[in-house]
Amino acid sequence: MHLLEVENITKRFGGLVAINNVSFHIDEGEIVGLIGPNGAGKTTLFHLITGFIKADSGTVKLRDENITGLAPHKIVNKGLARTFQVVRPFRHLPTIANVLVSLKSPRGSRKIEWLKTPERKALDLLEDVGLSEMMMEPAEILAHGDLKRLEIARALATEPDLLLLDEPFAGLNPIETDLLTKSLQTIHLDGHTMVIVEHKLHALMKLAKRVIVLHYGEKIAEGTPEEIAKNKKVIEVYMGTGK
Amino acid sequence: MVRIYFRRIHKDFAQHVLDVPSRLLALLCFPLLLAVPLTQTKVYPLVTMTLATTMAIFAASWDLLVGRTGQMSLGHALFFGIGAYTTAFLTKFYELPIVVTIPLGMLTATLAAVLVGFPSLRVKGPYLALVSMAFPLIGTGLVFYFRDVTGGEKGIWGLPKFFPGYGRVETRVGEYYLALILLLISAIIVYKVANSRTGIVLVSILDDELASKACGINVVKYKLMAFAISALFAGLAGGFYAHLMRVANYDTLGLNLSFLPVILTILGGLGTIYGPIVGSYIYYVVGVFVLDEMLSIPSEWHILFFLAVVILFVLKWPRGIARFVTDKLEDLSEEREIEERGPHIWKKYRRKK
Amino acid sequence: MIEQILVLGAITGAMYALLALGFTLIYGVAEVVNMAYGAISLLGTYMFIFFASFWAITQAGITVVPHSYIVLAIVLAAIVVGILGSIIYRFIIDPVVEDLLALLVVTIGVAIILQQSMAIGFGHYHRAVSIHISGSIALLGVRVITSQVIGAVVSLVLFAILWIFIAKTKTGGAMRATASDREAAMLMGIDTRKLSMLTMAISSSLAAVAGILTVASTTQIATPYIWTEPLIMSFAIVILGGLGSIKGSFIASFIFGYSEQVFITFMPGYTAYLRGAFALAVMVAVLVLRPRGLFGKHVELED
Repeated sequence: MHLLEVENITKRFGGLVAINNVSFHIDEGEIVGLIGPNGAGKTTLFHLITGFIKADSGTVKLRDENITGLAPHKIVNKGLARTFQVVRPFRHLPTIANVLVSLKSPRGSRKIEWLKTPERKALDLLEDVGLSEMMMEPAEILAHGDLKRLEIARALATEPDLLLLDEPFAGLNPIETDLLTKSLQTIHLDGHTMVIVEHKLHALMKLAKRVIVLHYGEKIAEGTPEEIAKNKKVIEVYMGTGK
Repeated sequence: MVRIYFRRIHKDFAQHVLDVPSRLLALLCFPLLLAVPLTQTKVYPLVTMTLATTMAIFAASWDLLVGRTGQMSLGHALFFGIGAYTTAFLTKFYELPIVVTIPLGMLTATLAAVLVGFPSLRVKGPYLALVSMAFPLIGTGLVFYFRDVTGGEKGIWGLPKFFPGYGRVETRVGEYYLALILLLISAIIVYKVANSRTGIVLVSILDDELASKACGINVVKYKLMAFAISALFAGLAGGFYAHLMRVANYDTLGLNLSFLPVILTILGGLGTIYGPIVGSYIYYVVGVFVLDEMLSIPSEWHILFFLAVVILFVLKWPRGIARFVTDKLEDLSEEREIEERGPHIWKKYRRKK
Repeated sequence: MIEQILVLGAITGAMYALLALGFTLIYGVAEVVNMAYGAISLLGTYMFIFFASFWAITQAGITVVPHSYIVLAIVLAAIVVGILGSIIYRFIIDPVVEDLLALLVVTIGVAIILQQSMAIGFGHYHRAVSIHISGSIALLGVRVITSQVIGAVVSLVLFAILWIFIAKTKTGGAMRATASDREAAMLMGIDTRKLSMLTMAISSSLAAVAGILTVASTTQIATPYIWTEPLIMSFAIVILGGLGSIKGSFIASFIFGYSEQVFITFMPGYTAYLRGAFALAVMVAVLVLRPRGLFGKHVELED
């Protein structure tokens, strides 16, 4: 049984086919990369899987349970969490309160260990991503890199089985990229399965064992990072045909 | 020690809501409010202050929904009017005691909120505002259609007083204190809700609904909850108003009344607990005592004045007077520098421990 | 009876169409939900009363205004209201056009200010509004009050003029471009703020004329508090037709016009309040079931 199974997902916007008959699966414990040129539909695919957009056809199954078309919050409570490409913090809340929101969800509150207060768990999560110093600061003053980590802490607060990360490395400098890579490796070791959309292929290839390539809404290749790097179609798509 | 530390988080967060200087301000003002009847012996100013207190409850209920949860309501008079008509109907035609009918009115308003909420919440942004405006207007249409029950233009009049059998002034004094007590209770409840973990979720919905959903929050459920609590207190205000004025008519569903909490809250500060309360008192005190008595400006001009002020505020200071003042005070006392990072903020954080 | 519904429905629909057009324009071009629209329309009616009174002649207890001056009064009222509208846009609406809550608050504020100003300036009691044309005409065998026919005809003519303006002129093209994609229009060098001011002027003038024609040919009475009705109707029509779609609001105007006649014919207790309630109920239903209306272009994504 796959952790996530996406079958024949299609989405049209007016006349444009954004996602065309895409199928793939994710198994427990993997880190899978999802790459493709801009506009390939990666974020749209995330939206479809997580319920923010309704697919025209196809199914999404989480551990064999059909979650196609469920409301986003229900999907989160089933163990599938995501971050956003452009960070979406709760600006008027302190950093720790951002995490507390997730902990108030049914799954989030269920998964708080006995004898722990939500605030304690929130602080632990902030410590895990290195934000505990900023805990009382309103989220609006955080730097971009910190906000990205806050998004991850917020997603982790619901103890997801599967974590979808949308360009977690965007806008980070090399040091922050390095730190985040290490954080993600730790998160992976903690038992979280991840799908990562990313343009910074360097960083992604260090983490992902398997990569799926999307182009104009279609899956054009799938394989290990080495295989993908040598794949003619993928090179064409990224580099142009060179003629 | 760990527990004390974490209780502090709520207190510290509460500082965003009721910042220290403004908490002091509120505490200072309360004894002043208590002392009002000692200085006024005439009925008219007493009733005005009672009205101000009632509208403070109404405005606070509106702010919980709009300022805290971000759900625009331009039809809040619906709940006010339902509260008013329910208690009027039950006291006049069924002779039930006020103590029973006002809570019944509140519950009816809450029920209406849930019913109205379902379609309203399916609708986004500007449309929600329009839909919210629609319901009290539909209600007015119904009031006139069923004029046998609702009394049509005249409304339901001759409602019982709160304290029958007392002299003119005494009964007004009693009403004033009763209103103050109700305001205090309402304010405390709203404060507790706003500063609980539920309140945190409400603010998250205000800030970014999509992100809130991504945190597993059933946004619709929380919005309905905010609607319901808001309607509960609006219904309280309406019910109290009916017995204060001893009549319930279609004005209690009117657009002018729907817009009143907007004015009051913007005057005082959106998204705070004390803002709408302060705004209400400013509106009535300035309106009656300054504009009317001192400057003898006719009443049609009052609303022009306040609206001009409101529009000015929206254009220049979107967060209202009270917030403006307390921000300035805070700036002086804490030298908040939001731009800078580093050791400076570290120190600030340490100080909060 | 059918002919009566057909004819009267068309007349009502035509006058609604003019009213709704102004609302659609300012929403489409400037993305402004103008809660003061009804009040502006009513202001036009009061301005008309004001100007017409200059040329009123009283003979044997009857006050009459010569027809040419009626036209002049309407034109002047439209101009004054149009200018006022663009001033309101420039100083009050434009600063808050991005924040919807602020925009709604501010425009409702303007509406109430206008209401109070009209009450102070003209009194809060009833005022007579008339274009001083009496008699009736027979259309398709139905007796219709002449002023209503004139109102409908003028409305359709103005609608057509505006339609041509938007479709054929350069400014009209700029309006269409801005309505379709504001940022692209700005990048192309269109001064969207000036354009919005102009649109607001046109919108307000249309509202004024529509208000004058409607009141003068139906109730013939104005008070400062009746501004909610045109606002409600405009909203309901424009939302049914689809926000931003001129064609949609045209068709929706007639849908409302006809349904109103049907109600009047078959429901004896039908009052103005019920008309508003019905229009609002339709509006709510549309917003919940099909927010983009009949021809609207906004598709509400979750995102």
